[in-house]
Amino acid sequence: MKPDISDEAVELWFGPQHVAAHGWATKLTLVGDYIVECDPNAGYFHRSAEKCLEFRNFRQGALIMERLCMPEAFLAEYPYVQAVEKIAEIEVPEKAKFMRTIMMEVSRIHSIQFWWGQLAGELGLFTMVLWPWIDREYTLDAFEELTGSRHAVTYSTPGGVKYDFTDEFLRRLDLAIYHLENHLGKFKDMILKSPTFKARAQNVGLFSTKEALKLGLSGPNIRACDYPMDLRKDAHDPNLKYDQVDWEVPVLVSEEHGSGMCDAYDRMIQRFNEVDVALQIIRGLLPQVPEGPIIDPKVRAKTNRLPAGEAYGRVEGARGISTLWLKTTDKAQTPYRAKIRGPCFNSYYALKHLMPGLRFADFVLVFGSLDPYVGWWDR
Amino acid sequence: MQFEDFINWLNGIPGWLYDVLVWWFNAIWWWINLLWDSIVIIWASMFGNAEVLAYWFKAIVFPGLVFILLGIIFTVWATRKTWGRIQGRRGPYNLGKYGGLQLFADAIKLIGKESIIPKGAKRWMYRFLPSFLLVIVLLPFVFIPWDTDWVIVDLSVSLVLIFAFLTAIPVISLLAGWISGSKYTIIGGFRAANNQFASEIPLVLSTVGPAMLAGSLSVLSIAQVQADSFWFIFLLPLNFVTFLISAVMSVGMVPFDAPVADSEILFGWRTEFSGIWFVMTYFAEFAEMLFYSAMMVTLFFGGFSGPAFLPGIVIFLIKLMIVMFFFIIVTSSFYRLRQDQIVSFSWKYLLPLTILNILIVMFGMAYFGLYIGG
Repeated sequence: MKPDISDEAVELWFGPQHVAAHGWATKLTLVGDYIVECDPNAGYFHRSAEKCLEFRNFRQGALIMERLCMPEAFLAEYPYVQAVEKIAEIEVPEKAKFMRTIMMEVSRIHSIQFWWGQLAGELGLFTMVLWPWIDREYTLDAFEELTGSRHAVTYSTPGGVKYDFTDEFLRRLDLAIYHLENHLGKFKDMILKSPTFKARAQNVGLFSTKEALKLGLSGPNIRACDYPMDLRKDAHDPNLKYDQVDWEVPVLVSEEHGSGMCDAYDRMIQRFNEVDVALQIIRGLLPQVPEGPIIDPKVRAKTNRLPAGEAYGRVEGARGISTLWLKTTDKAQTPYRAKIRGPCFNSYYALKHLMPGLRFADFVLVFGSLDPYVGWWDR
Repeated sequence: MQFEDFINWLNGIPGWLYDVLVWWFNAIWWWINLLWDSIVIIWASMFGNAEVLAYWFKAIVFPGLVFILLGIIFTVWATRKTWGRIQGRRGPYNLGKYGGLQLFADAIKLIGKESIIPKGAKRWMYRFLPSFLLVIVLLPFVFIPWDTDWVIVDLSVSLVLIFAFLTAIPVISLLAGWISGSKYTIIGGFRAANNQFASEIPLVLSTVGPAMLAGSLSVLSIAQVQADSFWFIFLLPLNFVTFLISAVMSVGMVPFDAPVADSEILFGWRTEFSGIWFVMTYFAEFAEMLFYSAMMVTLFFGGFSGPAFLPGIVIFLIKLMIVMFFFIIVTSSFYRLRQDQIVSFSWKYLLPLTILNILIVMFGMAYFGLYIGG
């Protein structure tokens, strides 16, 4: 920093005890109302997930993973399950593959509903906090009917899934989708056409595709820059059924900035596109679910002790690409080492480069538009 | 000869001592008389005749202190219930029928809490400012004409004095943010002062229209003039809108609540106040909201004028509830604006509209002889 402004610079800790800091501590250096430096600090939410995984067997590990990101619970537990299935070389029944895919897309919708509320709360409009969350209640009712719990679902397990679709679940899922679709138009009006939201979110947090790739962003944040990075299409997973539906990767060409740039407003539009694509996939897959078993008990028994090996599980989460690298020793009941990579780590450190030059009040908006969740990077 | 004088002098000492005592006695008696007379005068002026007694009744019971405090409690209750319904929930419903006692429970709980004063805060200012804020917010209520004879004080320049009181409020907010001793509160205090910079001029200028049409600066006269002719809302709809928006900005409620933006600066200049001081700052915000609604009813909706079969005060309260409903809807429909956007919105759009309105009223009065008041 230049020596003459350092006299007026005020250091403010947007610290761990802050309503909108999500558990992070960011040291902001302000000159007047402008942020000059942004220094992210991790670690206030560290729960040693990777170490805990070394003490859980291969069916319990998914529970740790899903608690890293509760809004997208079905998506968060999948990398672990995929890694175990690769090491153990076990087959998954067809029905389970369809069910996993459907529930992962429902989880993506739930995560976006949660995020709409969260961002509106950070921007001060409590009405738009509660309206998406009312619809989220129907989604959570569907989760509860399927798995018995609303947030901490433990659905995928190595070898298949644990719970079958019942008629009651399908009825609740239809109700949840009905409520969501009914209100999408109203949410678009309230958010995208609101003059105050446009005034806050346009031209804020602007970055180009090149910068996004350099910062390691993935998921909706980079798809909003018209860059079709999507693991669901790029890395074909034989255990998921994304190829059975006709769908396109949701990208966005920004109206104001053209292709290759996006600001906070575009990232909001992008997430509406994501919801549309997710609904398309769910609608396409629901009629195709075959009859059959959801897991083979002998295969499940094979996951008691795994041979030595290394595997890499990854999933296109609601916030970006989440991965897990797993290493096992021969005939061990627990992993030797698990390494988790969450997308929000990169989103948060991207603030170091995005924030200087913006005002203090834009901090929560840029932060929120990148969809942060503290579990993914403090682990 | 000398010895005789000496004996005479000795003879006079008891008399002298007696005189000194008498002097002291008279002095004390004089002070006691003074005290008693002043008590008698004050008592006579307070309770001497029926007029003065009526004044004390109006000032304290109705439409004075007790009525205003119950009005503030009603305002908070109505706001919380209506916000709740807009947001898809019910608002408080546990205590009392329809949750009416919730406010009392909140106030009692908060008053019973430990009052924590941060180490970096200035202690006596910290204790003094919230009460001072509440007193200053409650003072302009004396001018509001709830009915023709139910106004506590009617001055010929009451409009000016009202805004003199209201201008002090953001200054107290700035001071409260400063003395709380935290960087977040200082930012909140400065934002409150910035809000005043943005909102006071359109607010005061929006009242010039009704004052010019009524030909008087007294709020009671403005209401009375509307009783005899049309309500000013039909003549000055734009003025009403600018007053509403400037009022929301002046109070500091969403969408202009950057001074108390709870996702950016925790609670702005109110962050550190806990317990009873929180109750005072919280009530001060809703008292301001009640006051601006009452001002809008008086200036634009004719105050107590309406159908003759209802008492004026009831008409006033009905209109007050309608205007408060508008207030509540505006404060729950927009995202929070950034501080510099508030200032730029106010100076670029609100102020020119207000001045345009004044020009329209002036031309109307000059060229069309639209002269309503006396």
